[in-house]
Amino acid sequence: MKIINDLNIKKQAKDLGISIWYTPSFLFLVMGLLSVVLMTAIYLISKNYDSPEIVVVAESLAVAIIFIIGTSIIKGVEQVARLNKLKSEFISVASHQLRTPLSAIKWETEILLSKYSKGLDKRQLSSMENIRSLTFRMSKLVNDLLDVARIEQGRFVFKKEKVDINTVIKDVLKESGILIRSKNIKVVFKEKKLPKFWGDPEKIKLVLDNLIGNAIKYMTQRGRMDIDAKRVQGFMVCSVKDNGVGIPSEQQKHIFDKFFRSDNAVRYQTDGTGLGLFIAKNVVEQSGGKIWFESKEDIGTIFYFSLPLTPKKK
Amino acid sequence: MEKKKILIVEDEATLQKSLSEFLALEGFEVLNAMDGEAGTEEAKKSLPDLILLDIILPKKDGYEVIEDLKMDGKTKDIPIILLSNLGGSEDVEKAFSLGITTYLVKSDYKLEDVSRKIKEALKMED
Repeated sequence: MKIINDLNIKKQAKDLGISIWYTPSFLFLVMGLLSVVLMTAIYLISKNYDSPEIVVVAESLAVAIIFIIGTSIIKGVEQVARLNKLKSEFISVASHQLRTPLSAIKWETEILLSKYSKGLDKRQLSSMENIRSLTFRMSKLVNDLLDVARIEQGRFVFKKEKVDINTVIKDVLKESGILIRSKNIKVVFKEKKLPKFWGDPEKIKLVLDNLIGNAIKYMTQRGRMDIDAKRVQGFMVCSVKDNGVGIPSEQQKHIFDKFFRSDNAVRYQTDGTGLGLFIAKNVVEQSGGKIWFESKEDIGTIFYFSLPLTPKKK
Repeated sequence: MEKKKILIVEDEATLQKSLSEFLALEGFEVLNAMDGEAGTEEAKKSLPDLILLDIILPKKDGYEVIEDLKMDGKTKDIPIILLSNLGGSEDVEKAFSLGITTYLVKSDYKLEDVSRKIKEALKMED
């Protein structure tokens, strides 16, 4: 199946967004066929003509043709690479440009609500609150896009600091406090004494933010979330368990894909980009750990991730 | 207690306006500069207690401003909080290596958080 797909040159050209003449597999095919034709031709020429000059001319011609096609292949590959770079750059620039007006909207809203809200009636206040929470959502999306662009450009740099996982967990829970209370979710987290290790606390927070955020998002009623962090040999293993809607088994293999959202996720909760778990997986794996999960539809999901307990700064 | 003097170096007018207004309402004395050169001059002239600095600025970028201020004996100890929308790890690292106090990504922070960070940096009681 894969071979047939690989041979579908028209589709490949369309997928890569380049003209068919630059599609590498097409050019390779042409080059292969041409090599065979040229070799046969040279063989026939050398057999029928007894003059070494003609053979030399024919050989040079063959080399020239192969060279021209070879150049085309290189051009094709370069074009694909350039388009890919352009895409990442576009995301970076667009996201950065988006952030400035977003910050302005956010701060203007905040100043209005915190310092000048006297005189606004209930309806006006609720409008402002909506603007505030929507701006927050948009900031999150822009940040996610920027992170993805950085991951793809290989510019996702990790800081090395002492990390206390319990502090990170408590921070995330504190920041999600409003959501947890508004959905009446019971949170169970028993702090264990764990060694500190070297890592990037902000990035680890990003992972927990996504896992805890998802757990909250996909719990419908009588929500209960269990969070745990423990030491397993040389690793710190953290888990976030929920009794939410779960992930349909046929879609489980896709959940770490970029922009992927499961059917029931879309059904229960429209807000989401499909980037969170992609980012989380990248962070965990680049830190030398693993991320995995168990899930049953309508029962719940438990996500685990491990991080090496690196005792020394590398 | 005397009002703490904060210098804001930010070229985006709306951001500068909401930030300086908020900080003034929080009880700070606020000075403004709209580009890197003016920011450096103002810092050397009025010796603020703390500087909020953007990275992408006209005339002189934020990194150059930090280098300049750190070289001058009078201004080298003024805490600097970098306030930018870049927020890529390499930008953060560069800024820390130049000796800033902390780094905030504008779109991630509320004005309230910015104000809190300033107070922390100045070790003020709330």
